[in-house]
Amino acid sequence: MDELAPPHPALLPAGLRDLLPHEAQAEAASVAAIMAVFASHGYARVKPPLMEFEDGMLAGAGAATADQIFRIMDPDSHRMMGLRADMTPQVARIAATRLAGSPRPLRLSYAGECIRVRGQRDADRQVPQAGIELIGADSAAADAEAMLVAVEALAALGLARLSLDLTLPALTPALLDEAGLAGTRRDALARALDRKDAAAVGEHGGALAPMLTDLLLAAGPAPDALAALRRATLPAPMRALAGRLEEVACLLRAQAPQLRVTIDPLEFRGFRYHTGIAVTVFAPGRHEELGRGGRYLSGGGEPATGMTLFADAVLRAAPTPPVRPCILVPAGTDPAASRALRREFATVAALEPCDEEAEAMRLGCSHVLRDGVPQPLGAR
Amino acid sequence: MVSARHAGHLPMTAPYPHAALAPDVPAPLVLALPKGRILAECGPLLARAGIEPAPDYADENSRRLRFPTADPMLDVVRVRPFDVATFVAYGGAQIGICGADVLGEFDFSEIYAPLDLKIGACRVSVAAPLDAGPDDPARWSTVRVATKYPNTARRHYAARGIHADIVHLNGAMELAPGLGLSRLIVDLVQTGSTLRANGLRETEVIAEVTSRLIVNRTALKTRPEEIGAWVARFRAAAA
Repeated sequence: MDELAPPHPALLPAGLRDLLPHEAQAEAASVAAIMAVFASHGYARVKPPLMEFEDGMLAGAGAATADQIFRIMDPDSHRMMGLRADMTPQVARIAATRLAGSPRPLRLSYAGECIRVRGQRDADRQVPQAGIELIGADSAAADAEAMLVAVEALAALGLARLSLDLTLPALTPALLDEAGLAGTRRDALARALDRKDAAAVGEHGGALAPMLTDLLLAAGPAPDALAALRRATLPAPMRALAGRLEEVACLLRAQAPQLRVTIDPLEFRGFRYHTGIAVTVFAPGRHEELGRGGRYLSGGGEPATGMTLFADAVLRAAPTPPVRPCILVPAGTDPAASRALRREFATVAALEPCDEEAEAMRLGCSHVLRDGVPQPLGAR
Repeated sequence: MVSARHAGHLPMTAPYPHAALAPDVPAPLVLALPKGRILAECGPLLARAGIEPAPDYADENSRRLRFPTADPMLDVVRVRPFDVATFVAYGGAQIGICGADVLGEFDFSEIYAPLDLKIGACRVSVAAPLDAGPDDPARWSTVRVATKYPNTARRHYAARGIHADIVHLNGAMELAPGLGLSRLIVDLVQTGSTLRANGLRETEVIAEVTSRLIVNRTALKTRPEEIGAWVARFRAAAA
């Protein structure tokens, strides 16, 4: 390798990429299709800015993203600004401030790019999000609605076979609190639970070990996990949460029987602002998450739930949308004729007289306009 | 004729098969096994778990890397011990057998380690030259360490307020102190005989190590019945 060579002009910083023709189009189209489904369920679109003052961005639910945001000094105000790593805290801020007077439940949707210091799911640092927030409702119906609307949006892209993993991120910390665990012993047990290391849970779990092990082994298809939760001795608020989980699982089964629903009661990953039921969306056979969501406290402690789809991961999992066929239109063609063709084709105008068939081939068109009639290439 | 870019491929954004187009019948699960020291100890365990790989899987001279088993829904791959964790973390293999030393070094969040298989027992230790004079590590600010476990070594010393300056080697760590590369080594120790043969002695155990059954997180979420069944079989086999 030549260390003295100038950097290659195509080299981008790690985790960033160019989307090329068709890819960029496919991504925009899939985001549009997702947003159309959100809008059809009454979710009104908002657009927060790409960056904000750091202290505002890290208030409330945003605190969980502190180690993921890029920071920039605002040369104007001399205050620190941050690039958003997640849009949910921004939408929560809008709901709590500018839309504080809007009737509840408030349904908002958004789509935009987020930037993270480190790739979370994979190497990508720029993550396109499309999501919904349902603010001011605290019920199983609200939890289930957000999930089902997201599932419908994915179905609109042809992703019909999905798997939803429901979790209770607050359960593990609550159980550790209840047992009075602190310090390194708590850390060791939390880590063992995070890695599903049953041996270490047995070793560090003390009196909690049998129940934790039972819950750990029950992670999987909903009925078994719910049964394990019913057996477990839970503090009262967690018992209520487990009851809510059961209700949500019931609603999902009734309204979307094709969905595969798994439950992992002890998982507590992700952006750590979730206070109630959280969910991760998977597509079978894929190694990455298509989306995440769950219940959290919006500004001023208002109950809220939401779903975020990762548009890039969704695009990788979804069937490729059809590309509009291209037709080469000879120079001097009547504009009205070209306009009529655009109902079916993308028209590519020859800028000067040429061998149209060869030119169409060279530019990758599938058709050429000959004597006013669209002809597939190679038809003659 | 339709050119390739009209055939509907998205080469940059679609490095994997489309989930929506994949057949409903799932592909076989892949079990990653570490070649070398642990592989021989795996044999009886696999037999007790009812896994019968093609017989050449244990033959390190075999050029095959992927082996079918008697179960059409389970294949076995044989890779370097450090790579077992990588294959499982990225979902190339759904389950694997991997030393706790490797898990401690990489700390992949996509890996679950549900089961201690209690094979391959050894330890990650610090070793120093036999003839090293009396020295109080509490006074050190920095120490140069040769190891193939840079993260483990760095973490170990950072917890003691010492910056570990790492010389990253892939083998023959035992040579490093004698040849002036480092003051200490951090390495896997089984009996200690290699250390003694090279004029070193074990001064501190960083971690006791056994092999773990590891599972890819997404695979456990999306194929819980199959993965759960294998974990249960290994649990019974390891008991």
